[in-house]
Amino acid sequence: MRKSLMVAACMAALTIAGCSENTGGDDSSADVVNTEYPEQVFWGDTHLHTDNSIDAFGFGNRLDAEAALRFARGEEVTATKGAKAKLSRPLDFLVIADHSDAMGATKAIMEAPRIALLTNDFLLRWHDMMNESDEGSLRVTSELIDGAAKGTLPSSLTDPEQSRERTADLWTKHGKTVDQYNEPGKFTAFMGFEYTPMPDGDNLHRVVMFRDGPKKMGDTLPYGALGSQDPEKLWGYMGAYEKNTGGKVLAIPHNSNVSNGRMFAMNKYDGSPIDAAYVKTRALREPIVEVTQIKGDSEAHPFLSPNDEFAGFGDAGWDKCNLSCTKNMPPESYAGSYVREALKRGLELTLAIGANPFKFGMIGSTDSHTSLATADENNFFGKHSGNEPTNSQRALEPQNLGTREGRFGWHYLSSGYAAVWATSNTREAIFDAMMRREVYATTGPRMQVRFFGSFDFTAEDTADLVKTGYGKGVPMGGDLSGGDGEAPKFLISALMDPESASLDRIQVIKGWIDASGKSQEKIYNVSWSDADTRKLGADGKLTPVPNSVDLAKGTWDNATGAPELVTFWQDPDFNAAQNAFYYVRVLEIPTPTWPVYDALKFSLTLPKEVIKIQQERAYSSPIWYTPSA
Amino acid sequence: MLRKLIREPLIHFLGGALLIFAFFWATGSDRDPADYVISIDETDIDRLTADWKRNFRRAPTQEELDGLIDQEITEEIYYREALRLGLDKNDPVIRRRLFTKMRFIDSEATEDLAPTDAQLQRWMDDHPGKYALSPLYDFEQIYLGQIGNAAANDIIGQLTRGSRPDRFAQPLSLPAALTRASGAEIARQFGDQFAAQLQALEPGTWSGPVSSGFGVHAVRVTARSPGKAAALADVRQRVSNDWHAARQAEQKKKALSRYRSQYEISVAGRP
Repeated sequence: MRKSLMVAACMAALTIAGCSENTGGDDSSADVVNTEYPEQVFWGDTHLHTDNSIDAFGFGNRLDAEAALRFARGEEVTATKGAKAKLSRPLDFLVIADHSDAMGATKAIMEAPRIALLTNDFLLRWHDMMNESDEGSLRVTSELIDGAAKGTLPSSLTDPEQSRERTADLWTKHGKTVDQYNEPGKFTAFMGFEYTPMPDGDNLHRVVMFRDGPKKMGDTLPYGALGSQDPEKLWGYMGAYEKNTGGKVLAIPHNSNVSNGRMFAMNKYDGSPIDAAYVKTRALREPIVEVTQIKGDSEAHPFLSPNDEFAGFGDAGWDKCNLSCTKNMPPESYAGSYVREALKRGLELTLAIGANPFKFGMIGSTDSHTSLATADENNFFGKHSGNEPTNSQRALEPQNLGTREGRFGWHYLSSGYAAVWATSNTREAIFDAMMRREVYATTGPRMQVRFFGSFDFTAEDTADLVKTGYGKGVPMGGDLSGGDGEAPKFLISALMDPESASLDRIQVIKGWIDASGKSQEKIYNVSWSDADTRKLGADGKLTPVPNSVDLAKGTWDNATGAPELVTFWQDPDFNAAQNAFYYVRVLEIPTPTWPVYDALKFSLTLPKEVIKIQQERAYSSPIWYTPSA
Repeated sequence: MLRKLIREPLIHFLGGALLIFAFFWATGSDRDPADYVISIDETDIDRLTADWKRNFRRAPTQEELDGLIDQEITEEIYYREALRLGLDKNDPVIRRRLFTKMRFIDSEATEDLAPTDAQLQRWMDDHPGKYALSPLYDFEQIYLGQIGNAAANDIIGQLTRGSRPDRFAQPLSLPAALTRASGAEIARQFGDQFAAQLQALEPGTWSGPVSSGFGVHAVRVTARSPGKAAALADVRQRVSNDWHAARQAEQKKKALSRYRSQYEISVAGRP
């Protein structure tokens, strides 16, 4: 009885909700002219939740996909808790990535006629809690996340067969809204969803995004993790989609930092060692990784990179226990959780198997559950509607989600965005740039980063960096091979975000396989501000940039950093026989974190442990070097 | 005397009876015979059967169907008795539920057909600022670095007297000149602050300092074509989306104020 009631309840709720007709865009971007090479960087968020995500709705979010799209393209909207919300600058593209599991279900449970749930104690209790108060709704969400982690959710929520009809209805309506707001050349709205497997609370989540519009997608429905938690099944779904429709789709792993070592594990989901088929499929399906977002930063960890004084960014609060905080994560697990280490493992696997499953380009995105894609420190709308900016205590409140260990509001980062070097602002051009990894991540600021590799560059080539970069080399995400033993050369530039802070430095992070077959890493400071006074030490370390942050005002002094850094760099430690990758990390000068702005607004005293000053950053996609065969 | 009366059990009894009477009188339980009719018709039976089938993948036996019908009747009886007792009042769940239903009904009413061009044009005319095409600028700029206003003014003075710009230009990967650039395009590369200052510059001459997040710039505007209203064809999709969104919001507001106007609302401490 329980199962049918859930379906009945959800259908009943849906019959009340009408569908709006589609007046706008379609699949075609034919009228938009592509530039010869990517001249412009496009900014977006590939990971945004709306009220169709079970947890977002449970947390109180009442903004739908349309509000999310309007906000992303620069309109003012009213956030769930009443604050006016507007981006300082519009985004160029958005992927709404609602959880595929039980999509729209909390909304349906809450809005279902109570009588339809009367004999289902489980759902009825949730229905009443959600309707009674915001606190009740929060408790339901905690129970949901907890239940999903422990596998104790009722089958009416977990069985995809039972929710097929509801999902199909909702998905069709969603597709219409997305198409309506997709304006080729001006603003790109992608179809997508989040696949959310969480075995024992270990995060194996992926955002799945389509190159195609709803028309081409036909009756394709989002794939749920409650069907299978094995990512290989997702890749199977993606393969079938491409075969059946002629379309294209990619997956973006994220929050590897709370995967307990499983996101970049050297074995498959079932524990068996990974093989050539797994490696090839993963390389095909997952070209990019989301390296930074609200729930922490996954680039590096001080345990893995003890010589990297900047490796700890965004790790606090996220490195002790897995997503649901039901398991502690020992440092030995970190190698499978952080992206730099995955890139190194990728080199090892290239040698062992001949293909690289971790050949990732890097992007950032928000994972915001408020329908509001914010990543600016002074305009942060929080992880979920319970910590929107109207909540004065949000920085200090525990975020336990019904679990046992403490994470606090201030552990959330106001991060990040995806930067894409594409030839136009269209679904096709942006998606294709992601497939070739010509993308980079930032923790929110929109600095412009260029990174080219070649064996033929000279120091003078920085004068016309972009043209020479494309003419003689490969951009970020590309491959180098050959070179007759000569060390690869790079052209690198970073232009500050004129609405954010100036720059401290550019670093090149190199990973390689040494003669004994072990992977290594090294960080090179290659360009920095005030180069006449700041010098490299014998250890390669650089004098820190001065800290100009005034915590009492929330300000800093851009004159302490550089507006732009441009350099030519050649690897001084190159060995032509060793596989390697190189990526760029750009650091801003120190600036205040979002809790500082909250403290100023609400006259709070922040405890000592709250991180108040940080150096925001960008991570480029790597360029890989492979010795000629 | 009064105190004694209050302790009197008979008074308690009469008072209680009076209360019960008052309750039924006030809740208007003036028994409508229709309230005591329950008819389970064919559609109800079909619905019960369909629910059963969805669950068990087979039709119910006659016995099972009778059970479902009896359960339906029992539920309906208790539901009506509950209403008679006013149990639906002061229940936060029911209150919230009915609120949600009303909001649904009101938003349903706003779904309507595609707007005509005339409607969209009128919407554009009513919001001229929203769809105005920004002025377009042709300009040259040189970046002077993170220097103070006095030093910048000195350089700009030399430029106006004919010094060559490249003598002062600091390297920065921004275009030295843009043609027919809109405010948004300029802001995208130079920041809002810079874009906002162009309006006030005198065309044809080096002027500034124009400040941006990067530092300061000297700018020579060479041409400025004034902003104008957009043609509907160029912004149709956006206008249509805005029109829909605004219309929905407006109708929601209207529905509320229509109800609200019928109420006399007073709040302690509020004038």
